[in-house]
Amino acid sequence: MKRYDLIVVGAGPAGLSAAVEAAKYGLKVVVFDENANPGGQLFKQVHKFFGSKEHKAKIRGFRIGSQLLEEANNLGVEVVLNATVAGLFQDKEITVRIKDSIQHYKGDAILVATGAAENMVPFKGWTLPGVIGAGAAQTMMNLHGVVPGQKILMLGSGNVGLVVSYQLLQAGCEVVALVDAAPKIGGYGVHAAKLARTGVPFYLSHTIIKAEGTDCVTGVTIAEVDKTWKTIPGTAKSLAVDTICLAVGLSPMAQLLKMAGCIMEDNPKKGGQVPVCNAYGETSLRGVFVAGDVSGVEEASSAMIEGRIAGIAAAEYLGYIDKAVLTEVAEALESALSSLRQGMFAVENRGKNIEKTDEGYVVSQHLLKKGYFQDAEVEKYPGVTRQPGVHAVIECSQNIPCNPCQDACPRHCIKIGDKITSLPVVDETANCSGCGMCVAACSGQAIFLVNEGYEAGYASITIPYEFLPLPGEGDRGWALDRGGSKVCAAEVVKVQTAPVFDHTSLLTIKVPVAMAMKARFFKEDNCHA
Amino acid sequence: MNSRIKEHPILGKIEKGRRVTFSHDGNIIEGFEGEPISAALKAAGVMVHRHTQKYGAPRGIFCAIGRCTDCVMVVDGKPNIRTCITPLAEGMIVETQYGVSAKSTNKAEGMA
Amino acid sequence: MHNVNNRSRDIGEFVPAEDDELLICRCEEITKGEIRRAIHDGMFTLTEIRRYLRTGMGLCQGQTCGKLVKEIAARELGLVLSELGNASSRVPMRPIEMKVFGNEKEPGENA
Repeated sequence: MKRYDLIVVGAGPAGLSAAVEAAKYGLKVVVFDENANPGGQLFKQVHKFFGSKEHKAKIRGFRIGSQLLEEANNLGVEVVLNATVAGLFQDKEITVRIKDSIQHYKGDAILVATGAAENMVPFKGWTLPGVIGAGAAQTMMNLHGVVPGQKILMLGSGNVGLVVSYQLLQAGCEVVALVDAAPKIGGYGVHAAKLARTGVPFYLSHTIIKAEGTDCVTGVTIAEVDKTWKTIPGTAKSLAVDTICLAVGLSPMAQLLKMAGCIMEDNPKKGGQVPVCNAYGETSLRGVFVAGDVSGVEEASSAMIEGRIAGIAAAEYLGYIDKAVLTEVAEALESALSSLRQGMFAVENRGKNIEKTDEGYVVSQHLLKKGYFQDAEVEKYPGVTRQPGVHAVIECSQNIPCNPCQDACPRHCIKIGDKITSLPVVDETANCSGCGMCVAACSGQAIFLVNEGYEAGYASITIPYEFLPLPGEGDRGWALDRGGSKVCAAEVVKVQTAPVFDHTSLLTIKVPVAMAMKARFFKEDNCHA
Repeated sequence: MNSRIKEHPILGKIEKGRRVTFSHDGNIIEGFEGEPISAALKAAGVMVHRHTQKYGAPRGIFCAIGRCTDCVMVVDGKPNIRTCITPLAEGMIVETQYGVSAKSTNKAEGMA
Repeated sequence: MHNVNNRSRDIGEFVPAEDDELLICRCEEITKGEIRRAIHDGMFTLTEIRRYLRTGMGLCQGQTCGKLVKEIAARELGLVLSELGNASSRVPMRPIEMKVFGNEKEPGENA
C-alpha cells in the first residue's frame, strides 16, 4: 500500500487547486482522476470566466486548466489519470482501479473533489440517439472537434444551457430553440443576450412533449406549460432538429463520502445530497475534506477558491503549518469567496423573483423571458449613456460577480467599485479613446462602442465577435437588433484582432444613426458576398 | 453533412492523431488515432451504437464521458466497450451491440 | 422521519397514469409505471425499489436515473426528497469486472 500526505480525488478545478496549495506547504500529494484528461470540465470551457481579476476572470476556462496543471506539475504533484477511485474506507484508505488492477493507497488526509453529475429529464423518446447531455455536446465539440448535430434544441436556460448553446453556434451548429419550463431565464441575462442577438428564439414556459424519430432524433414537439407545469392544449409545436441537448442542472457526486461515513445532508440549494462540512471544507470525519461541486453545486471560480482553502486546511491538519497561518490565509480567500457568492444569482436567492438590482434599477422582464431588452429599457442602466463621440455602452443589468471591465479601461471610464456585483457605471466625464479593451474584456459580451457622430447620418457600432468566418472590412450585410431581427443594412468598417483580445474580435459596423441604439449584431449577406 | 469542425473561432485547428481506418459492421471507416471511437463514428454519420436487451431500442451517445454506458458496442469481439472513452486504433473491429453481444454471435447462440 | 419506515401507512391505490410507459432507468429499461407499482407493492425505500426492480443496478450504476427514481418515489409516497434519503453507496463506485476487482491472476502469472 502506497502512502501520501494528501490524496485528492478528482483533478478538476477544485482538486487541482487544493493539490497545488497543499504541495506549496510541502505535502506529498497525489491526485486521481477517472478521466483520460485532467482539468475536469475546464478544458471544455472555451468562454471567458466571470469573477474578479485576482481570481482568473476574463481568462478562458481551458487556459485556467492548463495553468493549474502546470502549477501542479511544477510543485511535484502526482496526477494519475484513468484512475477510478472505487472506494473510500475508514482510516482514509482508498482503492483505485488503474488499468486492469485494483491498487490500495492510504492518505493521512483525503480531499474529495469529484464534482457533479448532470441531471436528466425524461420525456417520450428521450432514449433515442440524438438526445444528449449538454456536457456531451461540450465534450464532443470542444475536446474532440466533432459537432453533436446540425440543428439543435437546448433544454434548460441556466448558465450551462446558455453557455453551451453559444458554444454550439461557435462550432457552426444552428440552435433552433432554447426551451425552459420555467417562466424566466435561469442563467445570466448577458449570456442569454448574446444568443438572442444572433437570432436564437427562447421558449420559456415550454416543455418537450416528445422526441420524434425511429432510429434517431428527427424532430421534437414542444408545448407551453401553465403555472402548475401542465401543458396547455393547442400550444404544441413541432420543430425539425437532429439533436436535443439537456441542460437541466447538476447534482453533487458525493457517494464516496457517504460510503466513508460522513454526515450527509439533503440540501436542494446545494443540488442534492452533500456532506456537512465546516468553512475549511472539512467533513464530519477529521482529515477528510471536500471542495467544489461535490459539496454544493456552484461555479468553477468558487470551486478553485474552495479547493485552495481545503488544501491549506489539510496542511494545517497534518501539522505542516500553524493554525494562525491557516486562519490568516483562509480569511483572505474566504472574503474572495463570499464576494463571488453575492448578487442576485447567489445561492440563497435561487428560486426568488428579484425585481430590482441592489442599486434600485428595475430588472427587465423582457430580458428574463425573451433573452433581450426592449429598446426603451436599456437606456435606464448606468452603463448606458448617450454621448457625442465614441463611448462604451454597457448593457449589464444584473448584479453578478464580475469586474474585469473596470480594469480593462486604460482611461478609467468604467466604474464598478469595491463591490464586485455592482452594475458598471460609465463615467461621462472620462474620455473614451475607443480602444475596445472593455469590449474584449467583458466575459458577458455586453459592452459595445457606439459613435453616433461617425459620419454624417451614420453611426458606428463596435461589437464583440467570436465566430468564423470573420467578416472583412468593406463586407456588407445586415445589422441585427438585440432580438436577432434584421433592422438595416450595415457595412463592416473595421475588424480588430489582437492577442490581448484573446480571440474576441472587434467588428465595427456602420449603420444609419437612428439604429445606433438598436443594432447589436452583424450578419453577412451571403447572397451579395 | 460534415460533423468535424475544421477551424474553431477560439480553439483554432483541433489537433488529431494520424488518420487510421477501422471497420464498423463490416464497413471500412476513417478516423483519427486516439480520438474516442464514438467521435469517429459520429463524424461518419453513425448514430445507433446498440439496441437494448429488453426492448431492442436504439441507443447512441448520451453523456460522452463514460458515465451512462449508453454508447457501448462490441469492439474487437469484446462487448460493453464504452466507445466515448475508448481511443480509436488502426484496424479496430467495431460492431453494433444487440443486448450484450454482436448480431452474428446472437445468431450462433440461436443455432446452438 | 417516523413516517418513512411506517410500513402500514396508507399511500392509496395505484392509479395508472398517462406517462407510465416512460422509461426511467435506461440501463435496465424500467418504466415509471413499474416504479410506481413497486411502491404500491410495498417498496418504500430506494434500496428496496432497487433490489425489487434493478433500477440503478445496471452498467451506469444509477448515474442517470438515481435522482429521477427518487423524485418519483417521493411523490408517490407523499414525502419530500430529504425525508426519503438516498440508496446506500457501496464499493465499487463504478462498474468493474469481478476479475479486476478481485485482482485475479491468470494461471502462471506471479501473484
